[in-house]
Amino acid sequence: MTATIDYNALSDDAFRAMVREFVETRYPEGVPRFAQHRVHWDEVKPWYFVQSAKGWICPTWPQEFGGMGLNAAKHLILIEEYERFGCARVNDIGPVMLGPLLIRHGTPEQQAHYLPRILSGQDVWAQGYSEPGAGSDLAAVRCSAERVGDEWVINGQKTWCTLGMDANWIFILARTDKSVKKQAGISFLLVPMDAPGVTVRPIRNLEMLEEFAEVFLDDVRVPADHIVGPVNGGWTVAKALLGHERVFIGAPRLSASALSRLKAMAQRTGAWDDPVFRDTYAGLQCDLHDLADLFETYVERLKTGAPIGADVASLKIFQSELYQRIAGVMMEVTGEESGHSHPFPGDSRQHAAGAWLAARPTTIFGGSTEIMRNMLAKAVLGLPG
Amino acid sequence: MIGFDLLELTDTQQMIVESTRAVVPGDGSLDRVRGLRFAAPGFDRAMMAVVAENGWPLLRVAESDGGLGLGVTEWCTLMRVLGAALVPEPVLSTVLAGALLGAALPDTVLAGETVLVTAWQDRDNGLDWTGGACAEGLTGAKRHVPGVAGADLFAVVTGQGLAVVPRDAGGLTIAQAETLDGGASGTLSFDATPAAFLPLPDVPALLDEATLAQSAYLLGISERALQITLDYLKVREQFGKPIGSFQALQHRATEMTVQLDLLRAAIFATARRIDAGASALQRMRDVSRCKRRAADLALHVAGEAVQMHGAMGITDEADIGLFVRKAMVEANILGSARVHRARFVSLLEEAAA
Ligand SMILES: Cc1cc2nc3c(=O)[nH]c(=O)nc-3n(C[C@H](O)[C@H](O)[C@H](O)COP(=O)(O)OP(=O)(O)OC[C@H]3O[C@@H](n4cnc5c(N)ncnc54)[C@H](O)[C@@H]3O)c2cc1C
Repeated sequence: MTATIDYNALSDDAFRAMVREFVETRYPEGVPRFAQHRVHWDEVKPWYFVQSAKGWICPTWPQEFGGMGLNAAKHLILIEEYERFGCARVNDIGPVMLGPLLIRHGTPEQQAHYLPRILSGQDVWAQGYSEPGAGSDLAAVRCSAERVGDEWVINGQKTWCTLGMDANWIFILARTDKSVKKQAGISFLLVPMDAPGVTVRPIRNLEMLEEFAEVFLDDVRVPADHIVGPVNGGWTVAKALLGHERVFIGAPRLSASALSRLKAMAQRTGAWDDPVFRDTYAGLQCDLHDLADLFETYVERLKTGAPIGADVASLKIFQSELYQRIAGVMMEVTGEESGHSHPFPGDSRQHAAGAWLAARPTTIFGGSTEIMRNMLAKAVLGLPG
Repeated sequence: MIGFDLLELTDTQQMIVESTRAVVPGDGSLDRVRGLRFAAPGFDRAMMAVVAENGWPLLRVAESDGGLGLGVTEWCTLMRVLGAALVPEPVLSTVLAGALLGAALPDTVLAGETVLVTAWQDRDNGLDWTGGACAEGLTGAKRHVPGVAGADLFAVVTGQGLAVVPRDAGGLTIAQAETLDGGASGTLSFDATPAAFLPLPDVPALLDEATLAQSAYLLGISERALQITLDYLKVREQFGKPIGSFQALQHRATEMTVQLDLLRAAIFATARRIDAGASALQRMRDVSRCKRRAADLALHVAGEAVQMHGAMGITDEADIGLFVRKAMVEANILGSARVHRARFVSLLEEAAA
């Protein structure tokens, strides 16, 4: 990395061309493209390191912390170009979640220690919020951290940690005060996965892949300074995270990609010539365009720095459910083949079952559809209860 | 295990339910089903001997031909129980072969020594069955043959007649594909395979019956998937109460119940009408209506079941996943909802004729 560039000052077209050139010339041989599932660290790390070497692994971090300092609009262009080329998603919990959180809430020492290690790929992070008993009701976490001398002693269980088996660090929400209101007794702690007492067990998902893991913490000791934010202030630290990621989770690209795959399937199977199918397809296409327009209104807000309210839930709800509806039509169009484990020869993009299964978690993680609707009902509609 | 309370069972239906005990564990355990996945042939051949002992291959064979002479109602009753238990053996296809062959059903099948399945389908996502015959015997392909990895004999349906061919028949090649439930389905390709043709029974009627039985299998899958989900809604607590207390989930659970009530009523009313000698037109319309709802509902219930289980529903460990993957495999067998809606449309005008 040489002199820093003010990417935001470039025209959108110039920036897009720059990103396109980068992926087309530098995307590593052997790293999957258009993968329909998460790629593990061993396979994806060359791509991480290429972005790291270019100084592009943390697009949203300010440049003084080693990021690109992209505004939301430019970040979106980057994402679009990566998707267009089919770049594999890297283990991005460090760049996307922990980094911004440390930049906001970490001490200068924590920033100086952890951020460079994310930038270089030395540390791969997992997110340890959920527990068997704390999902939608996250504030119910029971994993406890007790202050003993100058250490935290941690006991409990975390679960559903995405790519947890690839990580060498995990950040967790732990209960540090049992005597107060649930939200007020939680702290945010950083735990090395190789600490004695940490056990990771991969969980096989519905696609028969090991993409998430549970993590057991049994008398795990970490130094006192492994806390981010104040003691018992972890809830605020964790909740402040979402920022513009909330908007991006509702971006139409998953549905757009699914719809183009549906079209390919329909053309292959002959459904494309059926007016009844065309009617269904047209409905989905209209939905997609409407979603794109709704998404644009949020992108505009991000550009002008206007606050993103609870109403952004509409975006996530509609996008994830549209994705599922498109996958449902794929199942019908491809007929018996949609029950096969392996995709249509040579083209994983034409695997209806893969899409149907991959679309399931989108309405569960990042706030389930039901929780989003509850939020809309209360925070936006002002309904009682 | 599943509520039959909404339906009055006749004595023969009761007998059928009793006869499943050797195949379906009384405690609802799915260990056997789980254990058979992703290892050839994807089902237990020894269990097919139990199937034969139960006389199920003879279920739709007339008593005058040495069969049980039971009706479509009994076939649907059987398949519903097997669906609820996710029984992976290709029972439906064997019963269909029996119905097609009648007195010509091979003795080895009845003795439980060989496994016989039906190969009827000419093309993907279609109901055509008349292809496959040539001057030398069999030609072309029969697709989506269930239980293909463990079958010894195939009852091949063509426009020229029925043929029973062994898996090592000359000119027969078998391409297998693993299915999401851990079984396999396959395509049989024939190249001048020698065959002696037997006369054709009323194939469209028998395929319709099989389609209705398949709908009943899907009904069983969906009913049990809902039951498991309801059990989960009662025990899973968030925010200090069972998630089943949230009306957002209650209403969606009741919607599934409404749909299942419709499907159950439609399937068994259709079965009774067929048993009472329904016309071909009535039968086709009724069967397509049932299969359309059964397929749509199976995937709807599967999706809702996953959602209501939260991340637990995304795991392979949770039993609900077995139902989800089975529903995805079975929904489109014997015609997707789309195929049957299209067939229903093609019959709309004929009602007046
Ligand atoms: C693929 C995947 C990856 C994940 N990765 C991570 C990770 O890296 N780190 C991490 O910490 N967590 C992760 N999670 C966990 C995720 O955050 C939780 O799944 C989510 O919070 C929901 O919790 P739960 O699964 O326990 O479901 P539950 O909370 O048990 O919910 C079950 C069902 O009840 C509904 N429900 C709950 N409360 C209400 C209510 N009040 N009103 C109406 N309906 C309600 C839910 O919407 C859902 O349909 C991941 C999950 C998935 C599926």
